[in-house]
Amino acid sequence: MMKINYSKLLFYASISLIFIIFFFPFFWIISSSIKSPEEIISKSPTYFPLSFTIEHYYKLLITSDILKYLLNSLIVSFSSMFIAVILSLLAAYGLHKLKFYGNQLVEQSLLVTYAFPGVILLIPMYLMLSKIGLLNSYFALIIINVTFASPFAVWMLKAFFKMIPNEIEEAAYIDGASRLRILFSIILPLSAPGIASIAIFCFVISWTEYMFASILISGDDLRTLPVGLASIVGQYQIDWGFLLAGATLASLPVIILFVFVGKYFVSGLTEGAIK
Amino acid sequence: MFFNKNEGWFFVIPLLIWLSLSILFPLYIAIDLSFYNVKIIGTEGKFYGFKNYIKLLNSSKFWSAFNHSLLWVLGNAIAQTFFAFLIALILNKKFSFQKIATNWIILSFIIPTVVIVVIWKLMLSSSSGIINATLINLNIIDQPIGFFSTPSSAFISLVLINSWRWSPFLALIILSGLKSINREIYDASKIDGTNVFNEFWYITFPNLKHVLFVLGLVGTLLSFNVFDIIWLITKGGPSGGTTTLPLLIYETAFTKFRLSQAAALSVITSIILLTFSILFIKLMSDKNNDEN
Repeated sequence: MMKINYSKLLFYASISLIFIIFFFPFFWIISSSIKSPEEIISKSPTYFPLSFTIEHYYKLLITSDILKYLLNSLIVSFSSMFIAVILSLLAAYGLHKLKFYGNQLVEQSLLVTYAFPGVILLIPMYLMLSKIGLLNSYFALIIINVTFASPFAVWMLKAFFKMIPNEIEEAAYIDGASRLRILFSIILPLSAPGIASIAIFCFVISWTEYMFASILISGDDLRTLPVGLASIVGQYQIDWGFLLAGATLASLPVIILFVFVGKYFVSGLTEGAIK
Repeated sequence: MFFNKNEGWFFVIPLLIWLSLSILFPLYIAIDLSFYNVKIIGTEGKFYGFKNYIKLLNSSKFWSAFNHSLLWVLGNAIAQTFFAFLIALILNKKFSFQKIATNWIILSFIIPTVVIVVIWKLMLSSSSGIINATLINLNIIDQPIGFFSTPSSAFISLVLINSWRWSPFLALIILSGLKSINREIYDASKIDGTNVFNEFWYITFPNLKHVLFVLGLVGTLLSFNVFDIIWLITKGGPSGGTTTLPLLIYETAFTKFRLSQAAALSVITSIILLTFSILFIKLMSDKNNDEN
């Protein structure tokens, strides 16, 4: 008779549970987005679509401004990512490689910046930006995204910088290379996975940001995707098909990005172990 | 030593300037604003002294939001610690599709929060939601559950949805800590006949100290600050049951148009969070020093 291995059984049971909890919802919205409107809100939901239609996507792409929102989101996210990566790279190099007097205080203060909830900054930020005429601009959102992504990005880079032996730098220094030169031609290539991870992190933070985008941008022209979608969620009669197609489309760019660079992000988070 | 002790500052300064302009300066404006009675954005107000603060500390709305925030942070900490550790421990074992699973588990973190809202509003809907339908089919319940219809069920649902978003990300960071633990320690403990629970408590847990320090601090602050998921699903309701401090600030400023009052609320909230952070850093680093 076969002996049941209970710890194996428990292990596979928990894997299955985790898979259902964390992956099924994605299958669900994508499969629902191609169902007919009646099937989506039917009282007995169908696990696999019985009907097939692309009307929701057609409606989304033709009649709504979704592509404009998509473009806005892409512009804001890529610019925020670019600036945040440069600022955090420089700061992380200074903090973790050069170790100046007071570096520990700076490191802790950076993490404590998360003590100021976005909502707290929202009001004064609005006043500030309207004074200098930057309300309703991409820049308003970029300022915020960089602020919220950078401190953690600096912390993430720590592990990568620790893996680069100081001797390499010292050798370059003796050969007369300047600090910036060392950073860009030695540190940068050696910590490429680390940079990829913080780049994705910054992109994700910017791509998902909703609150500031909903207040700082009032015109329809500069709206980002989350705000555009949220305005449909808030409607009294929700057009689920339309909304689900929008949700699928809004997730697509990050998923595509993740197909190509996701493994760097994940291995960046997990392999660059904190030792 | 070839390091020049102050050179590092030059590299940190650009970020510090950026953050001072985007955090410290706005914070100053908020503090200033909190001593006036400005209502709608763009209008002028009279000097008000500490009146905004006194009013707030005496209002039941503030204390109920304060309690909700406390519960929110606790609930999220419990749910996220559970799920994050479960995921991390699973991914740290070897199984056939482990690599793909590790790369994609973070999906719930990379999609916009608005999409998360859409997903769970659909799945938890009481009229056509798949979760209610499945529970009824399995004869676990006979009436659909209104996940967002009572204050407490809405609160619990929101905690779980928010944890669904963050747990995989936290799990990967815990996993990085797990991977840095020397495998030989586990092998040695196996020979000594340690059980799974002791192994976790005496080997895994202490070795994750650094990771847990950052997660404890940043994780708590980040979950305190959650706004969009709550706002987009319940708007703080039903009957204020899910109004945490960030929601109260937003409501005060942008739906009730009491700007100065919202600013005073912001200042109080900042003081609470700063106190927490400083205590946390102090306690944790003292402990670390003792053990070294």
